Amino acid sequence: MDLDQLLEISNQCIHSEPPVCVASCPVHMDVIAFVSEVEKGNFSGAYKMMESKIPLSRLIGKICDHPCEKACVRSHAGGSIRIGELEKSVVTFGYSAPKKPLLLPKNKGNIAVIGGGLSGCVAAIELDKKGYKVALFEKSNRLGGRLWEYVSKGLEAREIEEELGMIEQKGIAVHYGVEVLEEDLPRYLETYDAIYLGARTWSKSYTVDPHSFQSEISALFIGGGIQNPNALMIESASSGKRAAVSIDRYITQSSMLASREREGVFETKLHYATDQVAPLASVPLSASIYSQDEAAAEASRCLKCQCDACIKACVHMQRFSITPDSYIRSICHNERIVLGTRRANLMINSCTECGLCKAVCPVGIGMADIIHATRESMVKRNKMPLSAHDFALKDMAFSQSDYFSLVRKQPSKEASKDLFYYPMIAFSAYARGLYKGSGKTGYLFYPGCQLSSTHTDYIGSIYKHLVGVIKEKDAMSDVGLFLGCCGAPADWAGRGDLMHDNVEKIRQTWEAEGRPTFILACSSCASTFAKYLPMIQTVSLWEIFDTYGLPEVDIKKGKRELCIHDACAIRDNPKIHESIRNIVKTLGYSVQELEYSKEKTKCCGYGGLVACANPEQAEEFAADRICESDPDVLVYCAMCKDMLVKGNKRAYHILDIIYANEINQETPQKMPTLSDRQNNRKRLKRQLLKEIWNEEEEGAMDPTYDFALHISDEITALMEKRFILLGDVEKVVANSLSHQERFFNPKSSDYLARLRIQNVTYWVRYEESGRDITVKDAYMHRMEVVEG
Amino acid sequence: MNEHIDTTTEWVCDKCRQALVSQKVKVRYLDGNFEVDLLKCPTCQMVFISDELAMGKMLEVEKGLEDK
Ligand code: SF4
Ligand code: SF4
Ligand code: SF4
Ligand SMILES: [Zn+2]
Repeated sequence: MDLDQLLEISNQCIHSEPPVCVASCPVHMDVIAFVSEVEKGNFSGAYKMMESKIPLSRLIGKICDHPCEKACVRSHAGGSIRIGELEKSVVTFGYSAPKKPLLLPKNKGNIAVIGGGLSGCVAAIELDKKGYKVALFEKSNRLGGRLWEYVSKGLEAREIEEELGMIEQKGIAVHYGVEVLEEDLPRYLETYDAIYLGARTWSKSYTVDPHSFQSEISALFIGGGIQNPNALMIESASSGKRAAVSIDRYITQSSMLASREREGVFETKLHYATDQVAPLASVPLSASIYSQDEAAAEASRCLKCQCDACIKACVHMQRFSITPDSYIRSICHNERIVLGTRRANLMINSCTECGLCKAVCPVGIGMADIIHATRESMVKRNKMPLSAHDFALKDMAFSQSDYFSLVRKQPSKEASKDLFYYPMIAFSAYARGLYKGSGKTGYLFYPGCQLSSTHTDYIGSIYKHLVGVIKEKDAMSDVGLFLGCCGAPADWAGRGDLMHDNVEKIRQTWEAEGRPTFILACSSCASTFAKYLPMIQTVSLWEIFDTYGLPEVDIKKGKRELCIHDACAIRDNPKIHESIRNIVKTLGYSVQELEYSKEKTKCCGYGGLVACANPEQAEEFAADRICESDPDVLVYCAMCKDMLVKGNKRAYHILDIIYANEINQETPQKMPTLSDRQNNRKRLKRQLLKEIWNEEEEGAMDPTYDFALHISDEITALMEKRFILLGDVEKVVANSLSHQERFFNPKSSDYLARLRIQNVTYWVRYEESGRDITVKDAYMHRMEVVEG
Repeated sequence: MNEHIDTTTEWVCDKCRQALVSQKVKVRYLDGNFEVDLLKCPTCQMVFISDELAMGKMLEVEKGLEDK
């Protein structure tokens, strides 16, 4: 993984970009923090915010021309936030006299400030704060310049005097009635380490760098009226402040321009969209300034503009309180650790790779690809926590084994001749389809492992329906069947090696069958095929249903409203979104669209094997999705249904409504256990072979035991949580019985047995009564205990 | 891994009908090798691990080693 390239991406994230109000404020007052304090009614807190950025904030706060307001994005939604008015009322209600300044030693250098107007006063104050000995020269007998024009136009003379009086109290030497002229400059330059020239007018014009305010005489800095005669008050204040920064850099000999691109007014990369924002008018003033309540109400209109589109949408980022920029930094850190604990592992394995962040990000940053590459890199370097995906990968191996894997051509005409009799041939489209058998496989129905595990009993009916409708329209194309796993678990686990092998096998089957079109019923298969098998033409089962017609089932048309939860794996496939909605409407239901749907759909929590690596995070995904919807949910991915039902939401797979099994609103829904799922896959293969191909599976593959296991719901739930299969429990018990390898508890008469199966040791505590075995506990560890 | 491991138990080895004794046992996972006191049958050497130990301390150590 190229970590530098990754960091490059994180730099594009605009999460930390300031809102436009801050960017257009010459001194970058933190408007969001400020209004948040006002909203809380904390006026002194709000005043602190002003004080930290606005020089002479008690005065400027009352007369600032507030360029921020003009920029505020709220202007299109009821009117800009009246930041200027808020500042006035904050000064009024939140100002308190500062503590007596500490007189610190001023030994960084001697600076002359020429001109006691606003910018000169600010420069003097700022330089004093930085530790310089400042002498301020003013030709009149008072400081403040233009500030005095605001007396009884926003300011009181008393306030101005008090505030400017502080300047001398700080220890700045103020020389009144001293007019410095151009010809005096050389002398000043000799006496002082640097000069700030903030006079109104000057006889000679200098070239001044607009960023640093430095003139061609390197110790001479010029701001205020000379530099910009029409400056707003806040701009003058800003120039004094920035010149002070330059003087400090000049004297300490640090780079004059480094990281100063964004001083003063700049353009923010944040373009906060307000098209979804409900308009809300500004709070009117009932007196000359806002009352505290009015100010709080006005402050609450602020949108607190910040890009957090991805965080708002993703419970994973919320759980780890992380934004893509910091996420990427932790990934880089995690990748670089040579010795020590990789603390980000769990986080990296808790992203569902759902792609929502990318879909909502204004600059197109997505974590899914990054997480995928990271997991692959962890696997390659042998740093992927083994337990995170072990169960899912074993389950995938099960799907690829002979227990489930199967490829069959459509039953031949010859083999099916028993069906070709009247009335069968008249009423069964399937029989007619077989009758038209061409021997050439045009389509391969690929239901996928998860649908086969949880919606087992639909698969045969769907297959027959497909043969019927497809052969009707396209007599040349037979429909075959392919049971297997697309490899999504390996992909999610970062197992490029397994993925490669699996994809290769699928490709070979496709070649061997004469390159048929795959009919896919699972959203994960659809995305895996698109990503790894682009040469294979695919179509979703739902599109086939939508265009060729639905199975004829005696349907009482549903009248209810359902909300559609789109599958995240196919967020970019509008054809599937479309056909699902068509089917739902054809069946008489109305559709409620969720806020996050189609290309912006949310993940149910199964994606990325999060349900395996961090079950709590997966549950959070499901809960988050569930609370978005009021009516029952309609899904078209088996895993989505599983996750939502487990989160106690009524959810139907689209096949449930197609086959009219959206039954019995009262009974709680139940999903098959992990063991059921494997058994269902075995059963499906056996049943289809028998029913459709008239084949008996050679060799009974299942071991048989001469004991009967009894497992309560409670223990079943515990086994689910611990990823322990019934088959494993059986093996432990069988071994303990045949070898008497077990412990006995004379008090409870329980037995306790263990058996290592592959890389896990399973333990079962049970009661034995004749051939009845009642399981009381099941647990496991991966650590190997060396006996002997 | 030593702290909370019981040194006495009601469990006995079913085959050998022996009370269990606490002894040093080797355990390993990934790159980790430890010796810990565990209860075992003195005759057939079968080692006893409780639910609390397996799903508690052992799991914690496993996870810790996986993140190394
Ligand atoms: S809504 Fe608030 S944060 Fe956004 S631009 Fe306006 S004042 Fe600034
Ligand atoms: S879970 Fe989805 S939205 Fe969240 S970071 Fe991962 S890919 Fe992005
Ligand atoms: S959506 Fe997220 S990743 Fe994209 S810019 Fe905003 S905060 Fe950054
Ligand atoms: Zn023994």
